[in-house]
Amino acid sequence: MPATPSTIAGFTAQGATLDELWRTLTLQAGYNAAIVVLGATLLGIAGGVVGSFIVLRKRALLGDALSHAALPGIAGAFIAATLLGAQGRSLAVLLPGAAAGCVAGVLAVQAIVRWTRLRDDAAIAAVLGVFFGAGIVLLSVIQSMPTGDQGGLASFIYGQTAAMNARDATLIGAVALGSIASVAMLFKEFRLACFDREFAAVQGWPVGAIDLAMTALLVVVTVIGLQAVGLLLIVALLIIPSAAARFWTERLRVMLPLSGAIGGLSAYLGACASALLPHAPTGALIVLVAGAIFAISMTLAPSRGVLASIVRLLRLRVRIAVDHALRAAVERADGARAAQPGRALTLVLRMGGHARVSDGRVELTPRGAERARRVVRAHRLWERYLIEYADAAPSHVDLSADAVEHSLSPALVADLEDALRKRGLPAANGPTNSPHPLDSGQQGGAA
Amino acid sequence: MHRVLVLVAVLISAASAANGAPPLRVVATTGMIADIVRHVAGDRAEVTGLMGPGVDPHLYKATRTDTAALMRADLVFYNGLMLEGKMTDALIRAATAGRKVYAVTELLDESDLLEPEEFEGQYDPHVWMDPPAWSRAIGVVRDKLAEADPAGADHYRSNAERYAETLRELDEYAQRVLAGVPEERRVLVTAHDAFNYFGRRYGFEVVGIQGISTESEAGVRDIERIVALIVSRRIPAVFVESTVSDRNVRALIDGARARGWTVAIGGRLFSDAMGAPGTYEGTYLGMIDHNVTTIARALGGDAPERGMSGRLAAGE
Amino acid sequence: MSPLHPPRSTAGSLASLPEHSADSPLAVHAMTVAYQRRPVLWDVDFDARPGSLVAIVGPNGAGKSTLIRACLGLVPLAAGRVEFWGRSYRQQRRRIGYVPQRETVDWDFPVSALDVACMGRYGMIGWCRPVTRTHRDAALAALDRVAMADYANRQISQLSGGQQQRVFLARALAQDAELYFMDEPFAGVDAATERAIVEVLRELRSRGRTVVCVHHDLQTVAEYFDDVLLLNMRVVACGPVDAVFTAENLRRTYGGRLTLLDEAGEAVARAARGE
Repeated sequence: MPATPSTIAGFTAQGATLDELWRTLTLQAGYNAAIVVLGATLLGIAGGVVGSFIVLRKRALLGDALSHAALPGIAGAFIAATLLGAQGRSLAVLLPGAAAGCVAGVLAVQAIVRWTRLRDDAAIAAVLGVFFGAGIVLLSVIQSMPTGDQGGLASFIYGQTAAMNARDATLIGAVALGSIASVAMLFKEFRLACFDREFAAVQGWPVGAIDLAMTALLVVVTVIGLQAVGLLLIVALLIIPSAAARFWTERLRVMLPLSGAIGGLSAYLGACASALLPHAPTGALIVLVAGAIFAISMTLAPSRGVLASIVRLLRLRVRIAVDHALRAAVERADGARAAQPGRALTLVLRMGGHARVSDGRVELTPRGAERARRVVRAHRLWERYLIEYADAAPSHVDLSADAVEHSLSPALVADLEDALRKRGLPAANGPTNSPHPLDSGQQGGAA
Repeated sequence: MHRVLVLVAVLISAASAANGAPPLRVVATTGMIADIVRHVAGDRAEVTGLMGPGVDPHLYKATRTDTAALMRADLVFYNGLMLEGKMTDALIRAATAGRKVYAVTELLDESDLLEPEEFEGQYDPHVWMDPPAWSRAIGVVRDKLAEADPAGADHYRSNAERYAETLRELDEYAQRVLAGVPEERRVLVTAHDAFNYFGRRYGFEVVGIQGISTESEAGVRDIERIVALIVSRRIPAVFVESTVSDRNVRALIDGARARGWTVAIGGRLFSDAMGAPGTYEGTYLGMIDHNVTTIARALGGDAPERGMSGRLAAGE
Repeated sequence: MSPLHPPRSTAGSLASLPEHSADSPLAVHAMTVAYQRRPVLWDVDFDARPGSLVAIVGPNGAGKSTLIRACLGLVPLAAGRVEFWGRSYRQQRRRIGYVPQRETVDWDFPVSALDVACMGRYGMIGWCRPVTRTHRDAALAALDRVAMADYANRQISQLSGGQQQRVFLARALAQDAELYFMDEPFAGVDAATERAIVEVLRELRSRGRTVVCVHHDLQTVAEYFDDVLLLNMRVVACGPVDAVFTAENLRRTYGGRLTLLDEAGEAVARAARGE
C-alpha cells in the first residue's frame, strides 16, 4: 500500500490500481463507496422489476412523466413547510411531496386520456412538460424566498448519489424488498391485467385497483430513486433493464428476475466505476452501463437479437440457393436446359458434400442426389397441391412453390403425399411429372 | 388644521433638503456587493440586492422582476469571474441596453486572482473571502458612484474610507484568532470550493467536496479521498454551508466514523451568501466575522464566542 | 322444436309476446347503447335458449360486438338491462366465459399458450395465490380439446392466427362456464381451426352449454348454429335458423349494404334450408 499522502492533491493523484478495483467490487473500498454501490444495486433491482410492467404495457414514458411530475411536489412541499415554520429541506417533507407530485401526474394523465380524445403519448407528454415547468417556476419562487434552507433542492433533478447514507440505503433496500414481494404476490394479477385488460374485467378482477397497485409501486420506486440518480435518470433505470431482458426470454416468469438482475448489475458496475474515477457522476455512469447492456442484448440475443435474425436470414437464403441448384441438377437429368451453378454456390455444395466437380461440370454425390430428390418431390407435390386446391394457373405455380416449400416440414410433405395418393397421382419415389413445361430456360439458382 | 399644514410643509422641505437629488437606483447581484454599495452610498442610493440569504449565486436564474430592476437601474454591480454563471444573458442584455453594468472585481489584476487547476483560463470568483482583496471592490463602487453622481463624490470617498478601515480591522481580527490554530489542524473542509482566497490569506489548506461551482456533482471517489485525508490528518471538524445541501458533508462524517475517526460539524459557514437580512450576520462584516470565529473555535484556535465585537448571535 | 319466446320486433313478423323466461341463460331487455349520442343498439330484446348455439349476424357497424360487450358490462347501457339466469352479471360471472377478438391483445407479450389458457382459471384461484398443478392440468386439457396441446409452451406470437384463436377458445373452456360469448371466432382462421372450433361448439351443446357467437359468414350460419339473431342496430328477427334465416329477413337486415345480388341471397337462404 503506498504511503498515505498528506494533502488532498496527493490523494487525488493516486490512480486506480487493480487492487483498488477488486476492493471496490467487493465493497471493501471504504464506507461511502460500499453504501453507494449497495444502495444503487438495490435500486437497480427494484427499478428493473417494477419497470417491466410499464414497458410491457407500452407506457414506458409514463415513468418519465412521473419523475418530472415529482418536481412541483418537492418544491411545493418545501414552500409549504417553510411557510409553516418547519424545516423545509428534510426528507420527511420532501419525499411525501415528491410522491404527491407523482400521484397528481398519473391522475392527470388518466384524466386526459379518459375525458379527451388524446391518446396516451400525447397525454404523457403534456403532463410531463406542464408539471416540470410548474416545478421550475416554484423553484424560482423559492429562490426569492428569504429562507436560508434551500440549498440542494435542485439536486433532486440530477441526483446526489455520492452522498448516500446508511439510512437512504436501508430505505432503498426496504422498497426493493417490498416491490419484489408485491410483484411475486400479485404476479398473475399483474400479468393478466397487462396482457388482456378486458378479459380481466370480464372475469371480475378490479382492473382499476390492479392498475393502481402497479402505479403505486412505480411511484414508490421513483420517489426513492430521486435522491439516488435524480429525476432525469430514474426513468432509465425503470425502462432499460426490462427492455434489455425482453431480448433474452419469451416468458414473463423469467423476464422479471432477469430484468431485476440487469438493473442491479448496471447499477453495481456504474457505481463501482464512479468510485474509481475522479469527479464521476454516479447516476450518469449507471445509465451508461445499462445502455451498454441493452446494446449488447439487442445485438447478441440468440432468438430476438439483431445478429441472430441476420444469421437466420442468411442461412435461409443459402439453403434456398442450394435447393434450387440441386433441383436444377435433377431437372437437367430430366432433359431441361438449366445453367450450371455459380462458383460460390458450387463451393457451398461441395462443402455440404452434395456435389463434386469433374470435367469442369458439377455433379451430384449420392448424398446430394438424395437430397435433390427430396427437394424435387416436395416441390412438385406442392405444385400439384396448389393446382388441385387453389386457383393458381400452372405457369405461376413454380415460383410460389419455391418460396413456400422451404418452409414445409417433413410431416406436412407426408400429408401432401397421402392426399395426392388418394387422388390417384404418382407415388413419391421417383421423379413426378412436372405439371408445367421444364424447357423454359430456368436458372439453376443464382448464388 | 392650519398647524398641520405648516408641519407637513416643514417636513417636506426638510426631507428634500436632506436628499438634494433623487436617490440613485443601484442594483447589486450578491448580498456582499449590496453591502458595499449601501455602506459607500448611504442615503444617496436606493440599493436592490437580487440574491437573498441562502441563494446559490452559481445556480441563480434571473426572474422577470430581476430583469426589470436591471433595466431600470442607474448602476448595476455584479461580481464577475463567472460567479453569476446563469445570469450572464440578463447582464449582457442590460449592458447592451445602455445600462451601466460593472464587475466589482475588475480592479483586481491577475496576481491577486487564483486560478484553480481544473478550470484553466477561469478564475475562482470567491474573492470576498479575502477582506483586503475585497477592499479593492470598494474602490470600484466608489469610483462608479462618483461618476454617476459627482455631487456626492466626497460623501462616497469618506464612506468608502470608513468601510475599508472596518475591513482592515476585520482582517486583523482574523489573523489574530486564526493564528491560534495549530499547524496540523489548518485544513478547512467545506461543501464546495469557496474558500481558496481565505486559505491563501490565512494559511489554510482548503478542500471542497464539490468544485468551484456547485453545478458539478461530487463523485464517490472524491468523497472517499477526502475521508482518507480527514482520517489520516485527524481533522476534528468539517463545515457545512448555508447555500449548499449538507448531504455531502454528512457523508464525509459517516465515512470517517466507519474508519474509526469522529469528526464533527464545526459550524455552518456563509460561503456564497450572507445571513438573514436585518441581523449582524446579514452584513459582510458579520458574515466574515462569523466564518472566522466559527472556524477558529472549531479547529482549536482561541476566539471569543460572540466574535470580533461581541455581536455574533449566540450559540452559532 | 320447443316453442320459443320470440322478442317484440318492430318488423312484427312473428308473435309478439315480450316475455323472458327466468331460466334462460341470457335475457336482454330493451337494451339501448349509444356512443357519443349516436345510438349503436336500439331497443334490443332477446333471449338465448339454453343449450343452443346462437349466431349474431348483421352488416358492419350493426352493433354485434357492442351487444356482447354490453352484456358483459364492458360498455355502459343507455337503457335496458341484461339478466343471466334471472340475475345480474356480477352474480353469475363464474358461469360465463368470453372469447374476444384477436386484435384486442398484444401478441408479442411474453406468455406461452399454456399461460394464456391458465388465465381462464384465475377467477377460481383468487387473489395472490399461485396457479397450482390442478389448474395447470385443467388448462392443458382445455388446450387439448382445441388440438393445441403440442403448442402449450410456445410463445403466442409464434402461433398462426388460427392457432391464436384456438388458444383464446381454450382459455374460455378452461373456465368450464355454462354460457359462452364469442366475438367472431371464425374470422380469418384456416380450415383446420374452423373445423376444430365447430367440434368444440358441438361438444359444448351436447353438454347443455349455451354459446352466443358473433358470426360473419352467412354461408355457414345454418350449418353451424341452431338459432340466429339478425341485428342491424335493432333486432330484425330472432329465432331458429330454419324459421328466421330467410331471404326476406336477410334483405331487411342487410338492406342495400348486402353486396350479393338478390338472387344470390335467395340461393344462400335456399341452401341453408337444405333445398
